[in-house]
Amino acid sequence: MNFKKPFRKALVLIAAVTLVASMTACSPKSSGGSKGANTPAPSNAAENKGGNAVVQDGELMPEAGAELLVWESREEVAFTEEIARQFEEKYGVKVKIEEVAATDQVAKLTTDGPSGLGADVVIIPHDHLGNTAASGLILENDVFAEETKKNNTEASIIGATFDGKLYGYPRAAETTALFYNKSILPEPPKSFEELIDFGRTFTDKSKKKYALMWEAGNMYFNYPFIASGGGYLFGDNGTNKDDIGLAKEGVAEAMKVYQSLAEILPMNSGDINPDIKRGLFGAGDVAMDINGPWEVAGYKDALGENLGVAPLPTVNGKTAITFSGIKIYTVSSFTQYPNAAKLYAQFATTKEAQLLLNEKIGSVPTNLEALETDQIKNDPIVSGFAEQAKNSEPMPSIPEMANVWAPVNAAMAEIWNNKADPKVAMEKAITQIKDLNDGLNAE
Amino acid sequence: MSRHQTRATILSSLLMGLGQIYNRQFVKGALLVLFEAVSVTYFILNLRYALWGIVTLGENPRTAANMQPGEYDHSIFILIQSLITLLYLVVFLIIYYINIRDARKIGRERDQGNKVNNFKQSVRYILDYKFAQAFLSIPAIGILFFTVMPIIFMVMIAFTNYSSPNHVPPGKLVDWVGFDTFKNLLALKSWSHTFYGVLTWTIIWAVLSTVTTYFGGLLVALLINQKGIRFKGFWRTILIIPYAIPQLISLLVMRNMFNGEFGPINQYLGYFGLGGLPWLTDPFWAKVTVIIVNMWVGIPVSMLLIMGVLTTIPRDMYEAAEVDGASGYQKFRIITLPMILFTTAPTLIAQFAGNINNFNMIFLLTGGDPVKGDYQYAGATDLLVTWLYKLTLNQNRYNMASAVGIIIFLIIASFSIYNYRRTKSFKEEDMIQ
Repeated sequence: MNFKKPFRKALVLIAAVTLVASMTACSPKSSGGSKGANTPAPSNAAENKGGNAVVQDGELMPEAGAELLVWESREEVAFTEEIARQFEEKYGVKVKIEEVAATDQVAKLTTDGPSGLGADVVIIPHDHLGNTAASGLILENDVFAEETKKNNTEASIIGATFDGKLYGYPRAAETTALFYNKSILPEPPKSFEELIDFGRTFTDKSKKKYALMWEAGNMYFNYPFIASGGGYLFGDNGTNKDDIGLAKEGVAEAMKVYQSLAEILPMNSGDINPDIKRGLFGAGDVAMDINGPWEVAGYKDALGENLGVAPLPTVNGKTAITFSGIKIYTVSSFTQYPNAAKLYAQFATTKEAQLLLNEKIGSVPTNLEALETDQIKNDPIVSGFAEQAKNSEPMPSIPEMANVWAPVNAAMAEIWNNKADPKVAMEKAITQIKDLNDGLNAE
Repeated sequence: MSRHQTRATILSSLLMGLGQIYNRQFVKGALLVLFEAVSVTYFILNLRYALWGIVTLGENPRTAANMQPGEYDHSIFILIQSLITLLYLVVFLIIYYINIRDARKIGRERDQGNKVNNFKQSVRYILDYKFAQAFLSIPAIGILFFTVMPIIFMVMIAFTNYSSPNHVPPGKLVDWVGFDTFKNLLALKSWSHTFYGVLTWTIIWAVLSTVTTYFGGLLVALLINQKGIRFKGFWRTILIIPYAIPQLISLLVMRNMFNGEFGPINQYLGYFGLGGLPWLTDPFWAKVTVIIVNMWVGIPVSMLLIMGVLTTIPRDMYEAAEVDGASGYQKFRIITLPMILFTTAPTLIAQFAGNINNFNMIFLLTGGDPVKGDYQYAGATDLLVTWLYKLTLNQNRYNMASAVGIIIFLIIASFSIYNYRRTKSFKEEDMIQ
């Protein structure tokens, strides 16, 4: 413990203050009886009504004795540890981090929130926002609404808005793009035809060398082969569950391109797993991979300067359209410290925070100023994603989305492994999705 | 002459402890009166709410994010709270009944002119004669609230519509739907197709995995026990190792070994000029793979068991058989096998029941994959129990998962009861023929 003197003094002071605060600020437990089983004691109700926040010199202040719990996925926990440290330094509010994957946080909030065990700030992919907001699980972004709208890209604000109300604090934009190894491919291929031509020269099964390897059995990464041919999952911008556009005219054509890729990736789609792929790409045995920004940090460690990211090649001469998603912070409506939680969500999505996230993880910022900085502008990887993001469609967010994965993934496996006719396989998938939707709606 | 008896009974029925006080058992009476006072106060405060809760499961959803706890109803919390209150009511009624019986008994003693125990004597009587009951009542209360209540709660979930996305509190309320969940599971095509498919595979898996590990273990045990075999300890150790490694590690390693493209197994087959197999990616072969790997994990257990049994077979039986000129095979068929089966039959049934719920094997090795498009959130190798896991954790369809859980319970319970009764009948028999 070799602190400088003034710093140590400050530390003791802070410790003392928080101790006193926590002893005095214990609000009385709600008198148990009929309604109070483990529900958190209602804090000063006025605070939660929004608008009447505790404001000091025009600044929102965290509640006395506030402590926050936040959830973060394993891949991005390095960023959150850093932000939590800075936040504690600035506001004196302790932040505890628990590891929960981004896709599991909504489900966990649904069960843990009402019991008072949930996180105060959760990260949700925008396609879950509708459900979460409609269930009243999250608070609106009210105090910082102006700031958020002013500072972030329009797409991210749309993603963070539901029913005309702004809920989220956008943190990063996500889409899939083409990772390639510059030492093998100085220039990324412009079209899949070109890619296949290159693949014929590079792929060698006996040497375990492959031109392109990606999760061929997972619809998320294969959406271009549906959308570029004019297909879609749900009509009316992903809101009409009865209009499934997987068997539209052009889809079979685009899926034929997908099918032909098996020639340069001769293996069963079920045998491709992310761990193996990561190893091969890092070793230079795989030249290209279709993946998202969450892989950037790992790939950078392996390839360094040789890692390139480019928009996906064209499918039958048409621009490849990918899924896009916005990751947003939201404040749980069950939080006991709404002010501190809002401050944290804001603090973790400022320009500086998004730049830090980019530095640690390689994410694509949503903050306009951050996008204009040299760090991002001169970052070829981010600009590759940004380029692809222009041709992306947000993933549908209706509950029926849960029923799409298994049927379409099964169809993909049929088309890839058994050379099934794309049209027939996709029509079968549509029937299955509709059956599953009936099951979903059976009450 | 039953004056005291009648009076004490009536008084105790009116108010707990009154009969005891009438019987001059003041401390016991006072304690009972106090207990009744506390309980009745609790019921006045809670019973109406509990009955309302268990019938309606709440009426006010949480429609706005600024609603505080208490302003809205959370169906699931209400269900649990109501359950606690009602269980307490059951406990209260049981104690009420015991108190009436006690007053009646003491009253009869008085009618017969016997002396009544004072409090000290009562306590001593309990400690001397009713010690077991008195002390078991404490864990019994614990079991009631920590084991029985959650089970009742989970069974109840199957009769509600508690499921994502339309019925998840606090934003939306949950209602009772009777047997609809079971009807959907067994009759609605999109659910029933999955259910019967997964159930069929579960039964096939349970039979095959039990039979293969049992007879594999038998074979290995007999081989090691052969007369001519040397280094018996060494072989035993080698064969125990798969059992000693945590499945979490060994199965995840297996998962990589069986990878069709990069796994060592297919690569070795390639060296011998054989084509590899789609071990984990083809629905049929994936099923074969889980059974093969399960043999590797399960044989050591059976082997240990059967080795233990082999040591208990009296040597003189074999000697007698040899005198009669029996061949090795005849000795095995007439002495060894019946003896082993006789001793291990109950374990065999227990293993079968355990295999129905062999979560680790499937979850760690295949995760239920390969995907099946026409299955509702299940894959080709999913067992009922791993499907239940997916329904609960990935899809939040709690009511469906609970219904599946109840069905699994019925299947396993019937085997266990059968097993229990058989072991009972074994005790009656002295020897097999």
